[in-house]
Amino acid sequence: MSTSTPITRLCTKAPRTSLLPFVQLRHESTSRRHKKLMHLPEAPSYTPTRSAPTLVFNPPSSAPSAYHTPLKFLPPNDRRRKLNTEALKYASATSHRQQTSALAAPGTPLHIASHLPPKPSSMLPPPVRKPYEKKYTLGEVEIAEIRRLRLSDPDKWTRVKLAEKFGCTQFFVGMLVRVPEKHQRVETSHQKARDMWGERRRGAREDRIRRRAMWGRDE
Amino acid sequence: MKRIRISRCGSQLLSQPTTIPRRPICPYAAAALQRKTTTSHNHRIQVRLQSTSAASDAFDLEEASSGSGSQPSKSSRLETKHTPLEGLPSPHPSAAERSSKLAALRSRLSLPERFPLQTLARTLVHPSADPNPAFNNASLAVMGANLLGYYTTEHIICNYPRLPIEVLFAAQEAYIGPKALATIAAEWGIEAVAEPGGEVDPGLLQLKRLRPGENPNPGSLQPFKPVKWNITTTHRIMKGDEFGVKKAFGSAPLSVNQPVTLETAAQSFVRALVGSLHLHLGRPLAKRFFRDHFMSRHLDISKLFDFRTPTWDLSKLCAREGFEPPIARLISETGRLSRHPVFVVGVYSGNDKLGEGVGSSLDEARVRAAAAALKGWYLYKPLDVTVPSSTEGIELEKSNWRPNLVDCGEVIC
Repeated sequence: MSTSTPITRLCTKAPRTSLLPFVQLRHESTSRRHKKLMHLPEAPSYTPTRSAPTLVFNPPSSAPSAYHTPLKFLPPNDRRRKLNTEALKYASATSHRQQTSALAAPGTPLHIASHLPPKPSSMLPPPVRKPYEKKYTLGEVEIAEIRRLRLSDPDKWTRVKLAEKFGCTQFFVGMLVRVPEKHQRVETSHQKARDMWGERRRGAREDRIRRRAMWGRDE
Repeated sequence: MKRIRISRCGSQLLSQPTTIPRRPICPYAAAALQRKTTTSHNHRIQVRLQSTSAASDAFDLEEASSGSGSQPSKSSRLETKHTPLEGLPSPHPSAAERSSKLAALRSRLSLPERFPLQTLARTLVHPSADPNPAFNNASLAVMGANLLGYYTTEHIICNYPRLPIEVLFAAQEAYIGPKALATIAAEWGIEAVAEPGGEVDPGLLQLKRLRPGENPNPGSLQPFKPVKWNITTTHRIMKGDEFGVKKAFGSAPLSVNQPVTLETAAQSFVRALVGSLHLHLGRPLAKRFFRDHFMSRHLDISKLFDFRTPTWDLSKLCAREGFEPPIARLISETGRLSRHPVFVVGVYSGNDKLGEGVGSSLDEARVRAAAAALKGWYLYKPLDVTVPSSTEGIELEKSNWRPNLVDCGEVIC
């Protein structure tokens, strides 16, 4: 059999348009590379520092128990503080020993191509919501002004508008001043709308409330 | 909750059958005194004194002679006249020795031989079956209830010093509440009579059963209804019993011949058994019995919490304790755009993780993480715990007192 390139492939090959140099792209096309990629580092508990036989405790990942008090919540004279610090030191030493090489650091191509789980790092995970600093800027004058505006025209000066104007939360406005008449009116109209719901929508809303209450009970 | 004077309780109970106490120690006794029902049983008191009392024989005889001397005419008349067994409201104490059920129960509970079968038989007699306070278990049940409450409360408070008071009450209810005691009695293999009487086996629980459809609390026996609807927690701690409920005792005397449910009778039996164990075998054995049969029951206290605003509570807690304000951070996620996403969110205060929660939305995971962090705070358990009752008693059995952690209280928003 001939090993030369067939004529058809030579004809269909597009000419090089760019003058940029070739960049080598390494895919996981061979079994060797795939195997290398699947090679996971051993768990820290399997890599003892001593040669003497030790107890290997490597439980599967699960939600932490509520009975394990976090380090911050321990009283200052608790003995577990010292033990916890030692365990933390050991864990950080282990993770430093198995730290990701500089080539595979985040942002490099090697990191992106990899399907491996992220190696341990000292970086904190990203916050769910943008952290904000609590401001205690409103004084007596502003609070009196908020109350006056809200009571003078509750339809115009809603909680949202007042919160935007004074730079506080809607919740804080609700703590400062209440308008029972408007609350009654809005509640009646909402109830009227709720009464028109069918069975499915009502059931779905009730289930949502029930599920929300289960969050606090940890069910 | 409250400290009881055990020495006083014990002496009162053991010397009770000699004469009717001037100051009634339990509502059943008070009710019985009002109805003057005790006179018809005096012939049995004499018999009972020689058989069931825990004190020495000489003491018994002396008491018996003094008792008969005080009422010579009536006792002599009644002793000569033979009462049929069917006429007695509950089994005769002398029948306890012949009952195989009682002996089986004693060995099943691993009680020593010196615990008399007559006392075991007496703990099985509920006041609804026998209104005589010298023969029913009412006084022993009051003492047993106090002991159970004392031991359970000190165990929970010392082991979980930060527990909120509502959870503490719920844990008490779960350990020694009416339902738990009835379950324990059922697990011990206690069977109840169809109808109490003198001729039945004393190894059965004697009670007057409630008929189907009958109101368990007629008339004055309604459970306590608060006059004010907004009873504060402080009020519940100060005025309530170990479950945070205002006591029914003392408010209205309980009637004695009223039919009761099986659960009520079973719980009074368990309490009376603990009280009589304390009287006959002493504090160490009673405590061991309590540890083996009550504390050995598994209770997951972390399931008793019900947080309404966990995120708010946690930020209040961090502000109170001087920690950095809590920030929810997304540890890992999967399937954000799918129908079943899973988010793992941790609550961090500074660099320390306080709790972790899993949810199908970011909000759910955040709220669950805050609830887990609060549980981590409340379920703190000290390493070295000395319960107050372990320092009581003689030198050999008591341990050195080391002060326990006293928490400043739960987070109140």
